[in-house]
Amino acid sequence: MTTKLSRLEIAIKAAVDAGNLLVSHYGKISKLKQKESLRDVVTDIDKLSESAILTVLNKNDPDFGVLTEESGFVGPETEDFWVVDALDGTVNYIHQVPLFSVSVAFFQGGKPVIGAVYNPLAKDLYYSELGKGSFKNQIQLKIEDTPITENLMSMAFSGKLYKPEERHKEFELFGKLNDNSQGCLRTGSAAMNLAYVSDGHFGAAVGKASKLWDIAAGLVLAESAGAKVNYKLIDKERHLVDYIAATPQCFSDIINTVKPSYLELDI
Amino acid sequence: MKKQLLVYGAGAIGRGYVPWVFPPDEFDLTYVEENDSLREKLNKQKQFTSYCTKNGAYQKLVVPISNCIKPGDELSSINNYMGIVTAVGPRQVLSLKDNFQKADCPIVLFENDSSLSVQLNHLTGKSNIYFGVPDVITSNTAPKELLDQDELSIVTEDGVCFIEEGAKSLGGINDYVSKEELHKQWMAKLYIHNTPHCIAAYLGALQGKQYLHEGMSNPAIYALVEGAMNEMRDMVVKKYNLDQEFVDWYAKKELGRFANVILYDPIIRVAREPFRKLALDNRLIGAAQLALSMGIVPEFLIKGILAAFLYNKENDADFNITTLMNALSPDNFLKLIINLSTHDALYKCIMTRWDNTLDELKGLQNDN
Repeated sequence: MTTKLSRLEIAIKAAVDAGNLLVSHYGKISKLKQKESLRDVVTDIDKLSESAILTVLNKNDPDFGVLTEESGFVGPETEDFWVVDALDGTVNYIHQVPLFSVSVAFFQGGKPVIGAVYNPLAKDLYYSELGKGSFKNQIQLKIEDTPITENLMSMAFSGKLYKPEERHKEFELFGKLNDNSQGCLRTGSAAMNLAYVSDGHFGAAVGKASKLWDIAAGLVLAESAGAKVNYKLIDKERHLVDYIAATPQCFSDIINTVKPSYLELDI
Repeated sequence: MKKQLLVYGAGAIGRGYVPWVFPPDEFDLTYVEENDSLREKLNKQKQFTSYCTKNGAYQKLVVPISNCIKPGDELSSINNYMGIVTAVGPRQVLSLKDNFQKADCPIVLFENDSSLSVQLNHLTGKSNIYFGVPDVITSNTAPKELLDQDELSIVTEDGVCFIEEGAKSLGGINDYVSKEELHKQWMAKLYIHNTPHCIAAYLGALQGKQYLHEGMSNPAIYALVEGAMNEMRDMVVKKYNLDQEFVDWYAKKELGRFANVILYDPIIRVAREPFRKLALDNRLIGAAQLALSMGIVPEFLIKGILAAFLYNKENDADFNITTLMNALSPDNFLKLIINLSTHDALYKCIMTRWDNTLDELKGLQNDN
C-alpha cells in the first residue's frame, strides 16, 4: 500500500532523489553550455536532475504546475505552483567545489510555503513548512539572534546581464556587508546561503536580482527558523527577486548601518 | 535542622522518586521548574503525594516543599543549598552550566547519560558534579483515583539509587558506590533496562496504548521485549564482563517492572524524542552496534528500532520522524537521518529485514 505523501514529504523526496543523481555524476561532467554569462552555465546533469524532480512531482502532485530553471513553466497553469532548481551552484559542481544543492519549493497564495534544500555531498537535508519549524536532517533549527558584528554574511549577485551599468552598486553593497561584519561570502549557491542562515552559520543572506528558483525554498527555511525575511519580485518576466534574510539583529544592523538602498525592498 | 536540597525538574524522577531517597524528615526540598502551571500548583499546595509500589500495593508519602521557583530565580541563593540534584533531561542539563559554576555543593545528575557529569565538570572547571543512577521506573502521573485525592500525585517503584561516592556528604537513602560499581549498574541500566524499556513503549505506541503495562499485556509485545532484553543481557556479559547471575536477575526484575499494572507509566514519557534514542551512541542504534560487535545479531532489537522509526506523535519534539520516514527510501533514511554507513553491518542487517519487519509491526498494529 502506498501512502499519499504530504507536500513537504514530496519536496523532500524530490530534493533527495535529484541530489543522489548529482552525487553519482560528480566529477564526471565535461560538457557544459553557456547561458547568459560566463558563470551562468548548464550541464546535462542539470537537466537530468530536473527530470528526476519532475518525475516525483508529476507522480505525487500532478495538478500543479512547476516553474523550473531549465524548462520554464511546465504542467498545468496554476496559481499555486512548485518552484525548483535542480542544481543550484552549477559552477561549483563543475569545478568540484562541494557546495551546491537542490532546491524545491511550493508557492501558495503568492509566497513560498514549503521548502527543501539538499546538499548531497554534505548529506545536509534542510526542510520546512512555513511556520512549523525548520529542520536539518533530524534536528530542529532555531537561529540565535545576534548582531552583524558577530556574524558571517553572504551575498548573491545578479546575472552579469542584469543592469551592467549599475554593477558597481552590488560590489559596493558587498563591501559594506564585508566591512561591517566578520566577513561576507559569495558561495555560488544562494539556496545554501539561506539554508546556512537557518542553520546559524550565516547571520544574513542578501541577494540582488536572484532567480526565484534559487531562493524560494531557502526563504521558507530561514523564516521558519526565526530569521527576519524581506523579499520583492522586481522582475516578473525573468522571476528576479531582491531579498534579505537575517537574524532580527543583523537585519536591523544591515538596514541601519549598511543601508542597502540598491535593493528594491519595501522596508 | 533539615538539609536544604535544590531539585531541578519536578517531573517523574524529581517529584516522584527524589523524595524517597532524600526523605522529607531529613531534607527541605526546593524545586526549580519551568512549567508555569505545575509550578503554580506546587506553590499553591505546598506539598504533593508520591506513591511507591511495594508488593502490589501503594505506600504513600506526603512531600512538603519549601518552594517551587522558575529557572533563574535560584541563582542568588544557590550557595545556601547543601546539595543539588537534577532530573531535567539530557538535552536541557548542559544549559545549567553557568548555574553550576556558581555552586560549591555536591551536584548529582540523574540524567541517563554518564558523560554529562564529565562534560559539565570540564566546562565549569570544577569537580563537584557527579553521576547518579536511579535504578527505578517512575511514572510522571498516577491513576485517576489517586489524582482525585491530589492532582499532583505521582507513582514510583521501589528502586535503588546509586551515586558516585564523592557526593557522599549529601546523605539520604542512597548507595554511594565506587566508579567501578556505578559503571556496572549503569551498563545494566543502560542496556538491560533503557533499551527494552523504550522498545516496550514504541511497540505499545503502535497499538495506541496509553501506559506501558497495557502494551506488555499483549503476548506478542511481551515476547519481542523479552527477546530484545535477552540480546542486551548477552551483550553486556560479553562486552563488559558483567556477572551472568547479576544480569539474569536484572533482566527478570526489569520485565516485571515493565508489566507492573499499578505503575501507570505513560508511553509518551518513555517513547519521547526517538531521535535521541536512535543516536549512534545511544540505547537503540548504539546498543545494536555493540551487540553486533560481540557477534550477536540483534534480531529483536532491530524490530524495536523500526518500531521507533514508526513512532508518530504530533506533540513530540521529534515529530518530524514521520515526515522523514514517509519521504525517504529506507536506504536514504538510514544514511541521512540515522547516520549509518552503507558499509555498516547494522545498515545491512536493517535493510535486509526492513520489509518483513514492517509487515510484522503492521500486524501487531492490527492485533489490538
